[in-house]
Amino acid sequence: MAHSLEEAGIENPAVAQPVAVGVPGRILHAVNRVIVTISSVALVAAAFVLTYGVVTRYFLHYSTDWQDEISVFLIVGSIFMSSAAVQARRGHVAIEAVSSLLSDNVNRWRLFVVDIATFAFCAFFSWKSWLLLEEAIVEGYRSSSTWQPPLWIPYSLMTAGMTLLTIQVLFQIVAQWRRRSEAV
Amino acid sequence: MSTLAIGLLYGGATLLVMFAGMPIAFALGAVATTFMIMFMPASSVDTISQNVYEEMASITLLSIPLFILKGAAIGRSRAGQDLYGALHAWLHKFPGGLGIANVFACGLFAAMAGSSPATCSAIGSAGIPEMRKHGYSGGFAAGLIAAGGTLGILLPPSITMILYAVAAEQSLGRLFLAAIGPALLLVVMFAGYAMFRFRLEFKRAKAHLEKTGETSELLREDTMTTRDKFALLPRVLPFLILLTGVMVALYGGYATPSETAGLGAVLALVLIAVIYSVWSARDLEPILTSTLRESTMLMLIIGMSLLYSYVMSYLHISQSTAQWVVALHLSPWVLLTVILLMVVVLGFFLPPVSIILMTAPIILPPLRAADFDLIWFGVVMTIVMELGLIHPPVGLNIFVIKNIAPDIPLSDVMWGVLPFVGLMILAVVILCFVPGVATWLPDHLMGLGK
Repeated sequence: MAHSLEEAGIENPAVAQPVAVGVPGRILHAVNRVIVTISSVALVAAAFVLTYGVVTRYFLHYSTDWQDEISVFLIVGSIFMSSAAVQARRGHVAIEAVSSLLSDNVNRWRLFVVDIATFAFCAFFSWKSWLLLEEAIVEGYRSSSTWQPPLWIPYSLMTAGMTLLTIQVLFQIVAQWRRRSEAV
Repeated sequence: MSTLAIGLLYGGATLLVMFAGMPIAFALGAVATTFMIMFMPASSVDTISQNVYEEMASITLLSIPLFILKGAAIGRSRAGQDLYGALHAWLHKFPGGLGIANVFACGLFAAMAGSSPATCSAIGSAGIPEMRKHGYSGGFAAGLIAAGGTLGILLPPSITMILYAVAAEQSLGRLFLAAIGPALLLVVMFAGYAMFRFRLEFKRAKAHLEKTGETSELLREDTMTTRDKFALLPRVLPFLILLTGVMVALYGGYATPSETAGLGAVLALVLIAVIYSVWSARDLEPILTSTLRESTMLMLIIGMSLLYSYVMSYLHISQSTAQWVVALHLSPWVLLTVILLMVVVLGFFLPPVSIILMTAPIILPPLRAADFDLIWFGVVMTIVMELGLIHPPVGLNIFVIKNIAPDIPLSDVMWGVLPFVGLMILAVVILCFVPGVATWLPDHLMGLGK
């Protein structure tokens, strides 16, 4: 499955390079770069945590009750946090079957409407994530496992990631709008 | 509003936003959220983010990014080329040995990397130029690699299989084992075709030589010394040990699928550091960023697909559709054919991940009612989705091949893959008549399934 050109080490020509609009855009670009680095390390750390679990169980004869949850937090966290960086490169796969049938002008409008719909969904999801995070902190939600880590940890990563993604989509809408205005 | 009307609206809205070009993950999430707001209690809408988190926080699903990391580490090193080189040295004496070496290399690499385009790219970048240098036609060489690459979604640790196991609530270990027999069948069929096609091209080249006096590289015999045969083994053997080790860890009961994924990723990183000196931050950066991008894109689709399925189930759309299909009283084979044709058509537009998660709630109940073994069906469905990776005009592997061998005309690549499309359809037919090809190994090793 995983099945994309990028997986084969091939750059997809349809994927636009990140657009940085002014100082806020450059800041967002820099934030995304830092997050991608941290998330990459988190992914490798999750692999080591799971390996550590196997090694301790079979060589040191004791089991850990935290390895699965730590791995889940690390992986889910890195996925949500890096979703904005992926969106910056238009790396979330979409069906582009109709784009070749439409004129450039219609395609620009289509992309604009798609970005607004994406923004609306991400903003709604982020808002609900903030509410969930607040509830988890106030009510002291914990995982149901024996280790029982607080759930605000993964929820905060999901909330931050989705908020960043919303901001990223907003920047892309503004960038498109500016280009359109400059063209006119 | 009736369930039928809601269902039609749900399907129509999904098609509309997807074909408008909205990223699949957000399109599924947006449609599901809109229908939650319109037709479900407000309390359900409040839990939307919690739903997505809980669906994604499955340790089985989270093995996917780690398997991708393992595949990226192996895929971006020279392991593919070395594996291919070693097999070539050992198989060159057989007629069509070079083509057979490519098929075997694709199968072994796919089992290590678990990815179809990565297999195509890694083996094809060495294999296609080598085959053409030896006189193989461009279309044949391209078709062989495109088809060989598809083994990546069938052989363990296939991500497609992991998702099917989650969606169909089937044992992942049993499913992985069930895929091995059909994958070997495909390898044998592809290798057999490579031999047949080589003989055909060889005869043509010989006739051309007799007629015009012009020789072809195809007629030249390769000479490999014993030293050549053993030269690459020290580089290849550790990866084969990794492949075996991962399988032993999984089936020997030493590690869960997610632990196997973590262990495999760590070992792959260690091996490329030791064998290919890929260990500096600059070397690792492209491996890690491509893994992260691929995982993020895929896991968001998975999370939103599961939300989409949850809404479909809450609104009784999936149950009603499944009941409607059951009430049609189609013969089992007609039902299977219709479902597989639908998978082929969906494969024109959607990645296997979305096809499985969106269709599973609808297609699995009728198949279960018709007494099909869902493990067997998972294998058959995966082979049909493999077809989607190579059938013209939209197969992903065709574009990977076009990228690594841009001088082969696209029409040649497409004609080159067609015999393999036929072979894969034949493999599906064989599986229908001899289901034991898939079910024997898991039944033998893990006891009879349900």
